Amino acid sequence: MAVWQVVLFANLTLAVGLGTGYAAWGRAAGTLDRELDSVRARVEQLERERQACATGARAGEQQWEARGIVRAIVPGANLLVITHEEIRDFLPARTTSFRAVSPTMSDAVHVGDAIRFSLRGTARDDAALVAIERW
Amino acid sequence: MRTFLLAALWFHLASSVSIVGASFVLVLAGRSVSPTTERWEGAVVRWLRILVVIAIGSGIASLLLRTAVFEGRPQAALEARAVGHALLDTRAGVIWLVRHGLLIVLGWFLAMRADLTDTRNWIASRGEALALGVLVLALMSGSSHAAAVTPGTTRALAVDVVHLVATGVWIGGFVPLALLLWAASRAGGAEARRYARRAVGRFSLTALVAVALLMVSGVMNALVQVETVAGLAGTTHGRLLIAKLAVLVPIVAVAAVNRGRLLPALSTPETIDEPRLMRRLTGFVAIEGILALVLLGLVAAMTLQTPARHAQPVWPLPFRLSLDVLDVSATRWRWLVGSQLLVLGVAAVVAALVARGRRGPILAGAVALVVLGAGVGVPPIVVDAYPTTYRRPLVSYHATSIAAGMSVYRERCAACHGAAGRGDGVARDRQHPPADLRSSAMARRHAGEIFWLITHGLPQRGMPGFERELPDKDRWDVINFIRALGAADASATIGRTVEPERAWLVAPDFTVSVGPLAPGALRDHRGRRSVLVVLYTLPEAQSRMAQLARAYDLLWIMGVEVIAVPTDASPDAIKALGATPPVLFPVVTDGAADIVLTYRMFAPGPHTEVLIDRQGYIRAMWSGDSVAMPASTALTAQVEQLNDEKNVPPFPDDHVH
Repeated sequence: MAVWQVVLFANLTLAVGLGTGYAAWGRAAGTLDRELDSVRARVEQLERERQACATGARAGEQQWEARGIVRAIVPGANLLVITHEEIRDFLPARTTSFRAVSPTMSDAVHVGDAIRFSLRGTARDDAALVAIERW
Repeated sequence: MRTFLLAALWFHLASSVSIVGASFVLVLAGRSVSPTTERWEGAVVRWLRILVVIAIGSGIASLLLRTAVFEGRPQAALEARAVGHALLDTRAGVIWLVRHGLLIVLGWFLAMRADLTDTRNWIASRGEALALGVLVLALMSGSSHAAAVTPGTTRALAVDVVHLVATGVWIGGFVPLALLLWAASRAGGAEARRYARRAVGRFSLTALVAVALLMVSGVMNALVQVETVAGLAGTTHGRLLIAKLAVLVPIVAVAAVNRGRLLPALSTPETIDEPRLMRRLTGFVAIEGILALVLLGLVAAMTLQTPARHAQPVWPLPFRLSLDVLDVSATRWRWLVGSQLLVLGVAAVVAALVARGRRGPILAGAVALVVLGAGVGVPPIVVDAYPTTYRRPLVSYHATSIAAGMSVYRERCAACHGAAGRGDGVARDRQHPPADLRSSAMARRHAGEIFWLITHGLPQRGMPGFERELPDKDRWDVINFIRALGAADASATIGRTVEPERAWLVAPDFTVSVGPLAPGALRDHRGRRSVLVVLYTLPEAQSRMAQLARAYDLLWIMGVEVIAVPTDASPDAIKALGATPPVLFPVVTDGAADIVLTYRMFAPGPHTEVLIDRQGYIRAMWSGDSVAMPASTALTAQVEQLNDEKNVPPFPDDHVH
């Protein structure tokens, strides 16, 4: 075999080897990271659904727990405006108005109270306050 | 252990560079023409094989030593688990694997004994060695300081690759070239002289290009990694770079003599057979080779240092040059005249070097001009400097730090410098009265300089040092307070309406704690929303707060966040504001005192409102009685003014300068 043929063969091998190496490991790392993230999110969702089940909810409902401060109570519309911390996989830290499932829920709290609260719903849009307690 | 690591890195770098240089010289010189050159070619190939062995050996040593340094225990170098972790789980490790794999392929390739009489085979063989060598060297930048540059990683990597390969082509070629010249200059090597002369000629031309590329890529690298003159002169990394340049100068000077004097002298048919000249050239190239080895040692040391841009510089000189002092008109004129003379002088030096006749007198005149220009122009811009002049502050420009600085100032500084920093305390009648801390001279001083003065004092002017009494953090707090004093003094020009396109007064950052929730910060709004900071006192401001609560919807839509700061710092501040109308903007319930102290420096009064733009600059202020605050229409007019601005200034630095 002539030297130039050896060189050609060696270079091809190197290119294919490095290319496959990159494709197999270099890219796989990114994919694995993404998969891990989505699995984590799924586990957290299942955990929220499990919590919702424990207190007797409909199928497919999840439950989110968070802490916040009552900023306004709108009794007629059954709404509470709460400045809250980040609610994972739901809302960033901000001030949001939430619907309460029962009209009597807001009786126990006043504007300025620090509270723990639970939201329950099948999706983000229909999540409503199911429990409030003073922090 | 670091010494051993340095040695291993040096060997590895020098051998990797030499592999590229040697294989490049083989390609450049072309096919052998005589027994002498064939012997030389054989010697260079043997040299290449040795280099590959050294590169792999030193590479393994540096991997083991790096693992030990990384893990912080010497025995880790011999633990399979630790080395495996460094090799497989880090980016540098993977690059190490690829590079050493390529080195093994190169070693195997060089070990082959093949017949190269066919031209195709010769080209393939020499080209392959060069290509593999270049790849091994270029991949080095993947685990260098350049790979850590963000943003602009690709650009930094490309520049670093060019720098490395140009180094290999130029510096790595000295040894094989010296060997060739030595062989040709000996009694038996006469038949190789033309070949050697041609090889050196080609090398010289390539070296010229390589040096040009090295300079451009070197400057680009330095701009990214060193950034400032302080970084160059004040950090280990920067000083190693200066040392590297100091070694580079004689190498380039010798190369210039070779190219300008010796090569032309070797070009005539009579002189080419003159072994004396060729021996001298051999000596010169050997000197370049030795200097190059020193240079690579410095480079290896640089790779082990924190890049200058991340290190705290220690300024080595008792003075620095500052163009900031030019706002005094007499100084400005002197500097202008001097700098123009200096430019003229430099131009005259260039002219003298280019001119053919009367070189001496022109040069003398030019040097005199340069000296005169420097003598006139430089002294006015020389200002005192201290080792900490360019040190970056430990704490950011934050209300908590300013308020802490204020209390330290009142306790330790106010007696002499006066409560407001005017220099009008009890010591004002001394021969050297205390400095006015709000003056423009004070504003021109670097924060690091003030740090030095507070730490060590100015005994001849009666200023004591506080090194023992105040910890570092307290001194930086005082500096933040002094900066705020100066800023507050200058802020008198900021009025009740936004001055278009003039953002200069940095709003000190502060923590926004609403109830027991995780706190945010004023700076979280940068680039997103303008902020109206309201310092209020109840019950006087009750109606104003109700007015703002009703206007909040509109303000929010216009991109404004309102942050309310009660002056009485009550944890029940939200309750105190009442339920109707609902107050939905953040009300600070913790740490309000620091914010009030800081912002009242800018706008004193029982009720204060400060409008901060999206970039973090204070643009309008209202202070006084809460009933005299702007109506919501007047407020929104100012916000519209901000929203209409086209030229957005950069975000202010988080630390004072």
